[in-house]
Amino acid sequence: MKRSQSFIRWFFLLIPCLALSGCWDRRELDEIAIVMGSGVDLTDDGQIELSLQIALPMGIQGNMQMAGKKKPVMLVSSKGTVSQDQIGQIQQQLSRRIFFGHRAVFIIGENFARHGVDQTLDTMLRFPDSRYNCFILTSKGATAKEVLSSPYPLEVIPSIGMKNMQVGKYTFAERIDKFLDSFAAKGFMPATGAIRLIKNGQESSFVIDGEAVYRENKLVGYLSGTHSKAFKLMRDQGSGMKIPVRIEPAGKLSTGMITADLLTTRREVRTFVSQGPPKIEVEFRAKGRIIANDTTLDLSKPANLSRAEQMLSNELQKMISGLIEQTQKEFQSDVLGFGDILHIQHPYAWKKLQTEWLDTYPEVPVKVLASVILERIGRTQKPGHLPK
Amino acid sequence: MRRKTGTSRFADKPFEDLGHIAERNVSDKLEDNERHIRTVFDKCADLVVRRLDLPGSVPCLAVYLNMLIDDTVWEEGVLKPLLNLDAEPQNADRFLEDMVIKLGSSMKPQIADNMPDIVRNIVHGSVALFIEGQKRALRFIANTKLHRQLDEPVTEAIIRGPRIGFIENIDVNMSLLRQYIRSPLLKMERMSAGSVSQTEVTIAYLETYAPQSVIDEIYKRLERLHLESIISSGYVEELISDHPNSPFPTIQATERPDTVAASLIEGKAALLVSGTPMVLVMPITFWFGFQSVEDYFMSFIFATMLRWLRFTFAFMAMALPALFVAITTFHQEMIPTSLALSLAAAREVVPFPAMIETLIMETTFEALREAGVRLPRPVGQTISIVGALVIGQAAVQAGIISAPIIIVVSMTGIASFLLPHYGMSQAISLLRFGMVFLGGMFGLYGVVAGMIALLIHLSNLQSFGVPYLWPIAPFNRLGLMDVFIRVPWQYMKKRKWHKEQQLELDKS
Repeated sequence: MKRSQSFIRWFFLLIPCLALSGCWDRRELDEIAIVMGSGVDLTDDGQIELSLQIALPMGIQGNMQMAGKKKPVMLVSSKGTVSQDQIGQIQQQLSRRIFFGHRAVFIIGENFARHGVDQTLDTMLRFPDSRYNCFILTSKGATAKEVLSSPYPLEVIPSIGMKNMQVGKYTFAERIDKFLDSFAAKGFMPATGAIRLIKNGQESSFVIDGEAVYRENKLVGYLSGTHSKAFKLMRDQGSGMKIPVRIEPAGKLSTGMITADLLTTRREVRTFVSQGPPKIEVEFRAKGRIIANDTTLDLSKPANLSRAEQMLSNELQKMISGLIEQTQKEFQSDVLGFGDILHIQHPYAWKKLQTEWLDTYPEVPVKVLASVILERIGRTQKPGHLPK
Repeated sequence: MRRKTGTSRFADKPFEDLGHIAERNVSDKLEDNERHIRTVFDKCADLVVRRLDLPGSVPCLAVYLNMLIDDTVWEEGVLKPLLNLDAEPQNADRFLEDMVIKLGSSMKPQIADNMPDIVRNIVHGSVALFIEGQKRALRFIANTKLHRQLDEPVTEAIIRGPRIGFIENIDVNMSLLRQYIRSPLLKMERMSAGSVSQTEVTIAYLETYAPQSVIDEIYKRLERLHLESIISSGYVEELISDHPNSPFPTIQATERPDTVAASLIEGKAALLVSGTPMVLVMPITFWFGFQSVEDYFMSFIFATMLRWLRFTFAFMAMALPALFVAITTFHQEMIPTSLALSLAAAREVVPFPAMIETLIMETTFEALREAGVRLPRPVGQTISIVGALVIGQAAVQAGIISAPIIIVVSMTGIASFLLPHYGMSQAISLLRFGMVFLGGMFGLYGVVAGMIALLIHLSNLQSFGVPYLWPIAPFNRLGLMDVFIRVPWQYMKKRKWHKEQQLELDKS
């Protein structure tokens, strides 16, 4: 009797377990629309346009016999004023539930970025299954939708291509969590990689070759060329970067250039607070190796090597000063995070400085020191084309 | 949880001992004895009653069961010496004693006067000799050596080590044990259990090695055993086990004499049951399921590696399908993106939810395994073909089952065969279904809850007073040397560890 009573009690305890939890949250893999990348744009009539790139598992090569006949991804988009609402509108177009758990990239359209991002962005990023290790990019010269609809020949799913570009060390990569951090910080302005469309002959594709710089919540411009390189160096993403530098005038056989590959980089920022605006001193140290020597010099000679090191240091110093000048004068945005370092090194001074840091930063004198040590000079002592 | 004390549920049933044979003594009249024997063995076609005349024309009666007696032993060893006996009955009182001394052969003649006792001996394969005018009878053991060849144990094959297994004959089994431990310390106490079957049961242990409390406990439980028959050691195992309701074995059944001998030296006790090659070893801990006797025969490095392989695969055998179901239906973000896309593509055409799919395939696998055991050997081949082709390939191509499920189920199948002990592997296979259910219902949360419940259950188990998870819980540093690693022999001090275990026993 007692036994059967306890059994009944257990039975009724188990029933609410089934009813109250679990099972109803179950979604099979074929019941979800896996979002690979998403983008947000501002249309000309002032509406927000949300675009999702959704993977079609059936279209992925090697999975099923149908592969190749179907496209691997589809793009859906919706316009409106509130971005969270548009997820609902897109959901109406889809037979499967939108699932953000595998989103690889989030692209902010240029128009939208210039208009200011934070309000709408927050609702997108707050979505429960959105992951913070997804990469954030800003489109340049195109809308996010155009970037997302661009094919990419190397990968089946274009978003995966973007993600892999960001994982590799040749582009500036910012993940959502860091990006949001810099939104919240007063001494650190957000920056993302900049993605733009290019044409490779007939095929169109995309490239991530610059950085988008924000001032507070608005896009203020893009870095490119040597400034882009210097930016990556200053944000500690510079190892493996190739720096060409001229160390002698071009000759008949040679261009007079050597190229160094930076192995490790180290950035030290010192701040000084006294009367007037604070002073900042940046010391940049790098170790590298020579990967190309198109000069008449034999780098195994110490004199030549130290000359090369000197020229490289000068080059780096020029690159970095140029970048800082651009961020101070053109963008007026502390995208290198000097304010944060000032906060750490002079917390009391920062209390006063933080309120007007946006305006102070362009006036702050910055001194840049750079030194390069070349650890290896490569396989050959002299360039191969020179007579022995 | 302790086993409930009190009588077993068989106790209240009236059962008949050989007790319908009235308690009576041997009569000095041969006719009386013959009549009595014939009534006891009424309608027993194999009963042989022979009248003989001993030298000096002493009439006597030989009674035995045909075929239980080895014919040559009977003819050469008993009959001939008896008939050539030149003993004149000088002293009627000492007549039997004289005969015993004169015969004194391998027949182990013994004097008996109790009729039920004699009957019991007859059914065990003795010859009873009633002599006219004597109130006592003689009995000779002339067992037939009817048993199969010693063979390699099929269920516990190993690569390196002795290739001999127990057989159904308890005497042979006992001598196999004696061959490993040639010491008078090895005690083998014999008793018979089963009121009708009168099965011989032998408790073997090493005196001073085995804790007395365990031996006493085994005796106590055997006494409570009220069974009419014991055909296999499985009967005994279930009835004397601490936790018959747990899927986990608390008694080890093995058919390897080396395993048993090694266990005895570790201070365990063994129970040999006549008529079955499976010997019971107790007490055991959870970790026995991951230890093979071969671990101690091979290099300790490989033995340790194998042990970890077993731990890993035991975990997989229990949890892999559940984890698969939980992750693919609740936590898709945990799967690497490209794998998630592949799994999604494989699921596109499949009609059932992942949990149902897994349960179908697991059930099918268990059925195939069981069929493989039952099927006559010539037909057995077809099962693997049917299993591999029909279930594996055709089901996937037809879009009924997705290919990843097949991979998971076959991995699980292989994993469950990696465990050296069948009992443990059965327990894990059984729990797998519950885990899949929990995983499909509640996701990883359910799987983890199931694991915790399992852990609580395991830590509640005891085997003859030894905590099932010893030496992990309760923790014992020395005991650990033979759990996750197999330490080299020069550091293996089992005797000392066993002392620790004994201390643990004294505590409880």
